[in-house]
Amino acid sequence: MRDRADVVIIGGGINGVCAAYHLCKRGVRKVIVVEKDYLAAGSTGRCGAGVRHQWGAEMNVRLAREAIAQYERADEELGYPGGIEFKQKGYLLLAYTDKQVEQFKRNVSLQKSMGIPVDFLTPEEAREIVPHLNIEGLMGATFCPKDGHINPFKATDAYARAARRLGAEIRLRTRVTGIKTRAGRVTGVVTTAGEIDAPVVINTAGPWSREVGLMAGVDIPVYPQRHQILVTEPVDPNLQGPMVMSFHHNLYCQQTPHGSFIMGIGDPDEPKNHDYGSTWQFLEEMARKICWLLPVLKGLRIVRQWAGSYENSPDAHPIICEVSELKGFYVATGFSGHGFMLAPVAGLILSQLITGEKPTLPAERLGLERFQTGELNIEPAVV
Amino acid sequence: MRIKHHPILDFPEKPKVTFFFEGQPLEGYEGEPIAAALHAAGIRVLRYSPELHRPRGFFCAIGNCSSCLMEVDGVPNVRVCMEKLRAGMQVRRQRGKGDIRATH
Repeated sequence: MRDRADVVIIGGGINGVCAAYHLCKRGVRKVIVVEKDYLAAGSTGRCGAGVRHQWGAEMNVRLAREAIAQYERADEELGYPGGIEFKQKGYLLLAYTDKQVEQFKRNVSLQKSMGIPVDFLTPEEAREIVPHLNIEGLMGATFCPKDGHINPFKATDAYARAARRLGAEIRLRTRVTGIKTRAGRVTGVVTTAGEIDAPVVINTAGPWSREVGLMAGVDIPVYPQRHQILVTEPVDPNLQGPMVMSFHHNLYCQQTPHGSFIMGIGDPDEPKNHDYGSTWQFLEEMARKICWLLPVLKGLRIVRQWAGSYENSPDAHPIICEVSELKGFYVATGFSGHGFMLAPVAGLILSQLITGEKPTLPAERLGLERFQTGELNIEPAVV
Repeated sequence: MRIKHHPILDFPEKPKVTFFFEGQPLEGYEGEPIAAALHAAGIRVLRYSPELHRPRGFFCAIGNCSSCLMEVDGVPNVRVCMEKLRAGMQVRRQRGKGDIRATH
C-alpha cells in the first residue's frame, strides 16, 4: 500500500490532533495522523490535567496565554457536546523561602505586564482561597484565577473529532518505523501499515520524539523522564477550587470536576527513560506530603496510581520549528511536562509555519538553533 | 433473613447491639458488616447515586463497587459491606459524593 498526504503527523496525543485541526482549518487538504497506540495513550492521557499562565519566562507566559484562550473557546469552536471540562478555578503556587518569594514577585510583575490577572498573596490570603491549606512555614503565594483543569481525554477527543470533520485522517495502532528523505528534504514515512509519501512530516511524538527524530537523522535534544501521579476516590467537588502547587515540595494537587483529587511529585531522581512503572516510594511520599499540606485529604482512598513521561528540553521551553537541515520536517516537542497545556498554541504555530503564514508568536525563538548559540533562558517554574 | 446453617461456615452467636439508621434504633450483631445488619432489618436503599439521585442497594458485598457507600458517624463514603458494626453507630443514607470537611 502506498499513500499520499500533504502532511503526516507522527503521534496522536493532544499536540498531534491540535496540529491536525489547525492545518485543516487553514485549508491543508490531506492530513494524516499516525499513532502507534490510541489517542492520548502517551503523555497526554497520563498528565496532571492542569493549565496555567503562571510561568517565570516571558515566552512560556505568551504561549500559555494563547493556548488557554483557545481552550476557553474550545467547547464552542470545536462543537464538543458535554465540553472539555475546563474548570477555571485557578492555580495557587506556594513559596517557602526568601528566594522563592523573590522569584514569585518577579514572575507576578512579568505576568501582570502581559495582562495576566495574578496576585502575590500572604499566607492568610492563600488560606482564604484554600481553607484547608496548612500554612505552616508558608511565606507567600501567587494566585491566577484563569488557570485551571481540563480533561485531557476529552480535549484530545474534541480536537480529533473537529480535525476529522475538516478532513483529517487518524490512523490508530499504526507505528512509524522510518522517515524517508531525499536531498535534504523529507519525502514521507514508513509505517507498519505501508508507506505514506508526504512533503511535510511533523514529529509530535512526545517522549518518543528523540527516537522519531533520529529516524530522520535529526538529533533533538530532549529526553524522557518518568513522573508519577495518583488519583483518589471522588468526594464533594466543591472542596478545593484551585490547583495547589509547591516547588519547594515539588508537588501539585488538584480536585477534578468529578470530585477526585489528582496529585503528583516531580522527583529529579526518576529514571530518564520510557519507564511507566509505579513505585511504593512515590505512593508513600505523596501521601505523607499531601496529608501535611492539605490535611483534609487524610483518610481519602487512593483508587489508581500511574506514571507518564515528561520530554524535557535543556531550557524547559518547547521546541516548535522546521528542522533547518531537513526541509519539510517539523517538530513540536520538549514541552518539559507542559505539552497538554500548550498544545493549542503549538498546533497554531506549526500550521502557520507550514502554510507560510507569519506566526502569531515569535516562533523563531522556539527553534533548535538556540541550543547551538548557547543563550538559553531557562524556565524556573517547573515541578 | 439470616443464614443460621451453612455447609462449611460457622456462625457463632455474637452479642446483640443497638445502632441507629437515620436516627431510628435498630439491632444487629456486633462485628457483622453494617450492611448485613441493615439487610436483616429490611433496609434495601443504602444511598442515592450522585448524578441521577437513583436509589442504590447492596450489590458486590466485597468492597469493590461503591454501591453501599454510607455516612457512618459523620464519615462519608464508608463501605458498609466491609465495615464492622459497633454499638451506637449512627448510619445514614448518603446523598452526593460526601463532604469530608466535617470529619476533620
